[in-house]
Amino acid sequence: MAGKSSVAVIYFAILGIVTTAFGIADILVTAGASEFAYGILEIPGDLFRGGWGGVIVLFAGLFYLSGIRNFDEIHQFSKIVMGSILIWIMAGCDIFAMITESIPSWEEETGPWFNTLSDFIAAYAPPYSPAVLLLPFSLVVVYYIRKREQEI
Amino acid sequence: MKQTIDQRWDLIDKIAKQTITFGEYRHTLKDAIGEFTVKPLTGLPIAIAVMYAFWSIFGSFAGFFTDGFFVRLFDAYWLPWLQEVFPGQGGWLYAIMVDAGGIEGGEFVLSDNCLESFGVLTSGLFVAIGVVLPAIVIFYLMLALLEDIGYMPRLAVLIDTMLHKIGLHGYAIVPTILSLGCNVPGVTATRILETKKQRFIMMTLLAIFIPCGAQIGIMQDVVPGLMGWILLYLIIGYFIFGYILNKIVPGKAPEFLIDVPPYRRPMLSNIVKKVWGRITGFFKVAIPFVLLGAAMVGVLYQLGVIRFLGDALAPVFVGWFGVPKETAGPLIAAFLRKDLAVAQLSVIEMTKYQMITAVVLVSIYFPCVATFAMMLKEGWKELLGAMAVLTVVVFAYGGLIHLIGILLGVA
Repeated sequence: MAGKSSVAVIYFAILGIVTTAFGIADILVTAGASEFAYGILEIPGDLFRGGWGGVIVLFAGLFYLSGIRNFDEIHQFSKIVMGSILIWIMAGCDIFAMITESIPSWEEETGPWFNTLSDFIAAYAPPYSPAVLLLPFSLVVVYYIRKREQEI
Repeated sequence: MKQTIDQRWDLIDKIAKQTITFGEYRHTLKDAIGEFTVKPLTGLPIAIAVMYAFWSIFGSFAGFFTDGFFVRLFDAYWLPWLQEVFPGQGGWLYAIMVDAGGIEGGEFVLSDNCLESFGVLTSGLFVAIGVVLPAIVIFYLMLALLEDIGYMPRLAVLIDTMLHKIGLHGYAIVPTILSLGCNVPGVTATRILETKKQRFIMMTLLAIFIPCGAQIGIMQDVVPGLMGWILLYLIIGYFIFGYILNKIVPGKAPEFLIDVPPYRRPMLSNIVKKVWGRITGFFKVAIPFVLLGAAMVGVLYQLGVIRFLGDALAPVFVGWFGVPKETAGPLIAAFLRKDLAVAQLSVIEMTKYQMITAVVLVSIYFPCVATFAMMLKEGWKELLGAMAVLTVVVFAYGGLIHLIGILLGVA
């Protein structure tokens, strides 16, 4: 049990550090009023997604880091869950925006009302925001929630 | 049969044994998260994230329907068709119902989009259905979800300390958020506040600083990049003037007790009922006012009243508020429809800062006619008091925003 907990602690410590770094990067990029893209990562530079969103990603990282000590205690564990919830909120909003942008053709006068299949699929191609990249890693918390429920 | 005290205690013990389970209470994850969301240090980041999600989904959903489909439907099909089939092009009825158009080189020119045509059947319908409907649907859906999950009471607890600084308490978040959908139910919801002082402060702040869903929807459509600044000015104004009102309005601002329920999975039937009820309520109140407002603005323009008032008040608008002379017309028309006024402002050439100032002025200007009527229902003394405060706020805050612009070198 202790061994499994220490794996979780190391995992969420690393995730916390990466998430905090992404949050700080979001804020710095927004402060520089420019966008940043590298490989599959894209950091938005606008005040809403980059600034406000960056603050939320930063908080998510801090929740992860503050929750790793005494991981098995319910209040500490709930901080880890809250960190993941913040990532889910951010990533959910980004994915919802992708979906709404991928369906209409955005033609003003003529042409089809809906996007072509290739453009529709292309809308989901990378680069992605930090929250979307962090999403699969944040889902690991679901395993620990289930495990805790089974133990009770 | 009369029982002795001992017999009653025995009966109580018997019932207790059958109904109460004794044991050590273990905190669940839901309990722990519930506790964290009301503590400032951990609750504020969650509140910031919830508000982010609210506006992000609002923007994506409204943009999907308005810019993705309705703009094209109205501008490329509805407007040209009406311009062609409606009789009397260039006449006053045509101008009021379809297209006020413009004069270029001495000739009447038709508008090419519904935001510039200002007709009841074009701008009026476009604003009501193309802009306001998607905005209101998603706004009330999100609000119903937050209520049914059990987050709203937690937000009330979280913001209680801050709202006490302006003479209100945590419950004031309910009329405030409701007003972001429509000011009319917002004003009605001020009745949940206990004292006259609180109700007056809340009603005045709602009428001045809280833009309704229709206005937010149109702002999102025509000035999306400036939304953040406009809302920031309104939030700052809400707290500054709330603080001042708390100091000068006599009366009490009592504490409040609230039962914070556990988090719950929302029920679809509840959500559907709530959203449907609110949307139909909104449309019964707002749609007639949107169309009537568009008609009245058209009539006043045709009679030259708005031009006359605009010319007369232009020195105030240009000198005191620092906005172009052309904004005087829309700002006067804002009394009838704030959403239409924002649409009118969007086609006037001005700097970013002037646009921010002009849209903030539209917001803090007289409440729309529907809200005005609702405030009158709450009492004419309160209405007169709110109007007096509003007049002072428009000039003081409008001038202050201009001054900030001058100091920053952007006005």
